[in-house]
Amino acid sequence: MAVLSSRPFLTVAIVAAVWIAASFASRGFGAYGHLRYLVELGAVIGLVAAGQTFVVIAGGIDLSVAAIVTVSAISLPLLSWQADPTGLAPVLVVLALTTIIGLVNGLGVALLRVHPMIMTLAMATFLQGLLIIIAGGSAVTAENPLVHWLGNARPAGIPAGVLLWVAVSVIVLTVMHATPFGARIFAMGANPLAAALSGVPVTSTTLAVYGISGFTSGLAGVLVLGMNGQGYVGIGDPYLLASIAAVVLGGTSILGGLGTYAGTIPGAILLVTITALITVVNASPGWRSILFGSLILGLLLLSGREQARR
Amino acid sequence: MAPLLAARGVSKSFFGNPVLRDVSIALQPGRVHALLGENGAGKSTLINLLSGALRPDGGTIEVDGRAVARMTPAHARQAGIAVVQQELSLTASLSIAENIGLGAYPKRFGLVDYSALAARAKAACELVGLHEPLSTPVGRLPLGRRQMVEIAKALYRKPRVLILDEPTSSLSATETKILTDLLERLRSEGIAILYISHRLNEVMTLCQHVTVLKDGICTADRTLEGTDAAGLVRLMVGRDPGDLFPQWRPSASPANAVSVRNFSAGLMRDVDLDIRTGEVLGIGGLVGQGQEDLLLGLYGAIPARTASATINGTPGLPGGVPRANALGLAYVPADRKREGLHLIHTITTNMMLPAFARLPALKLRSRRAERETARGLAAQLGIKGDLARQAQALSGGNQQKVALAKWMPHDPVVLLLNDPTRGVDVETKREIYLMLRAFAAAGKAVVLLSSDTPELVHLCERVAVVRDGRIAAMLERAALSEEAIVSAAMGAENRKVAA
Repeated sequence: MAVLSSRPFLTVAIVAAVWIAASFASRGFGAYGHLRYLVELGAVIGLVAAGQTFVVIAGGIDLSVAAIVTVSAISLPLLSWQADPTGLAPVLVVLALTTIIGLVNGLGVALLRVHPMIMTLAMATFLQGLLIIIAGGSAVTAENPLVHWLGNARPAGIPAGVLLWVAVSVIVLTVMHATPFGARIFAMGANPLAAALSGVPVTSTTLAVYGISGFTSGLAGVLVLGMNGQGYVGIGDPYLLASIAAVVLGGTSILGGLGTYAGTIPGAILLVTITALITVVNASPGWRSILFGSLILGLLLLSGREQARR
Repeated sequence: MAPLLAARGVSKSFFGNPVLRDVSIALQPGRVHALLGENGAGKSTLINLLSGALRPDGGTIEVDGRAVARMTPAHARQAGIAVVQQELSLTASLSIAENIGLGAYPKRFGLVDYSALAARAKAACELVGLHEPLSTPVGRLPLGRRQMVEIAKALYRKPRVLILDEPTSSLSATETKILTDLLERLRSEGIAILYISHRLNEVMTLCQHVTVLKDGICTADRTLEGTDAAGLVRLMVGRDPGDLFPQWRPSASPANAVSVRNFSAGLMRDVDLDIRTGEVLGIGGLVGQGQEDLLLGLYGAIPARTASATINGTPGLPGGVPRANALGLAYVPADRKREGLHLIHTITTNMMLPAFARLPALKLRSRRAERETARGLAAQLGIKGDLARQAQALSGGNQQKVALAKWMPHDPVVLLLNDPTRGVDVETKREIYLMLRAFAAAGKAVVLLSSDTPELVHLCERVAVVRDGRIAAMLERAALSEEAIVSAAMGAENRKVAA
């Protein structure tokens, strides 16, 4: 059966199994409110991992996503205009800023031919330094109506952040699987040389991919700021490993060229589920981290290993 | 006399598809044994069985007349069996000497004894005429030289049985000569040699015995004496070969599709070249003289400069592949696995890629239209089977067809082909030749870079022979012959040669 061997389906099945098992084991886990909360948390990872999925399929990796989430969550509160009662303008400015950061990553990778790991890691370090200078150690509070709405409103009982995630998912899946741009990304990831010789504009496609990653990380930063109310240095830190793990758990090849965001979505939910289960265990923070890391590694060993390619 | 290495009635299936059925082969000392068959006939599988890389489903492998229960690559090495694979197995960043000794480094106090390695590697290199410094990283060598390193690597192990899978497909005429002399000598020293090649002339001169495979079945196991090339082809394809090359008809017009002056790219320096519409222009010469750079430079894939250039009436070089495509240029690379195809993607996706590269980035795709286009191309080129398979499931010949097919919907005006028939079976070769001639007859220009000299002679209007980054000779149709091309390639173009 094609459906059973499909990785996205497999990941959904694992999530469902874990949810069912956990709701028997722990009272309250399976409550609607709790599951809704899990998906809401998953939305942040899902947004960061949307851009990461593009980058990984294109054969790269973006290690600056966590820093970009923080940039977004810290710079937004610093921008406030009385003239704009909706709060939309600062959000757009911040998203433009994070997209530009992504484009700079893309420039380094495509034109200066810096390895994606080095380029984005250097970018992350640079941004962290900048943030410390700008924000110092203190948390900044957001007073932006749009951001507040995004993090707290529940139109028709569904968290606004989840709605945002759904909208982004539809766009991402369409662009990835139903446009020539998406096809170019897969081609570049599978064989960059053959893609270039087939006329794929490699430079602009690389730029676009990292730009998208900057944009979705920025969007995740806005959402996390809304949910949290405050931005501080380090707020984005959990999302680096989480975004990559969600991509790989969802069946996207870390070598590039194969995969889908349809797998990343349940991958993100699986990650928050694991986090929730660890919290139930009631371990100390150090042990939680150790458990989380080990569980991700274990899951990847079970499902994420891939055959060597020639 | 017991054969050094033999397979007795071996069978092998992959995923239920029988690839070999009850095949026997015996490699005798002091004999060059040819293994012939079209792509997909099972030759590679048979080699893998003989070298222990695969285990047969039925039948036995015998070494020195004794059946080996579980042959492994390590057993094979111990028994003195060396294989020169068609796909090069070298590590680009390691030096020639390191590559040759890889896995069998001489050790001293537990460390690699580099001086002993150098001495032994040097001896192996001399056998194959490799004179480059042994410390040269293999990645810097042209393909033909790398192939020689591969052969030296096999010789380094002092084999008793030497298996060569298409060793000459990337070799120049001189290198081929060195290799055939070497094999002749190894044979006289009592080594058993299994030789796989699509070049029947080589087989006729070098080999004494032949085994022919067709669809996994052995159709001939006989001495080569009293056979001619046409007879061999008949055994391989199971019917009369007809003429390998299509009948030649002039189709060139005086108009230029491409015209460059003082063109430089990569190894090529200050070349003047006109490519006429309706012609097949051959590019010949020894391997690695800059021919590939000429094509890639015109195609915008590597930096190039020129005093003046006109491509399809537009002045200037394309300067980038997307622009070259827009000007009507298309390029089919030599190394289809690395440069031509996306092996992990479907055949359909591979065929559609140039379209994806050209369409507006965010236009919605129609999967049905893509499938239909791919089905049409497959039908046109005789590619059989499910097009939703990965491209790596195809045989070499069919992969090459896909690499060609993907340009067809775009109606290119100039087709740049880099050794399109390398490692391709006779049947596919013929189909490709027909396609090229039909293309030229339709008023398009074809540039055919080839290491196969007969191909150049039989298909081309003119042949530009490249030597040392320059066009050493431009041979017109009337003066075309294998001798003329080879002597121009070797720097003897002043000698009068019969046309």
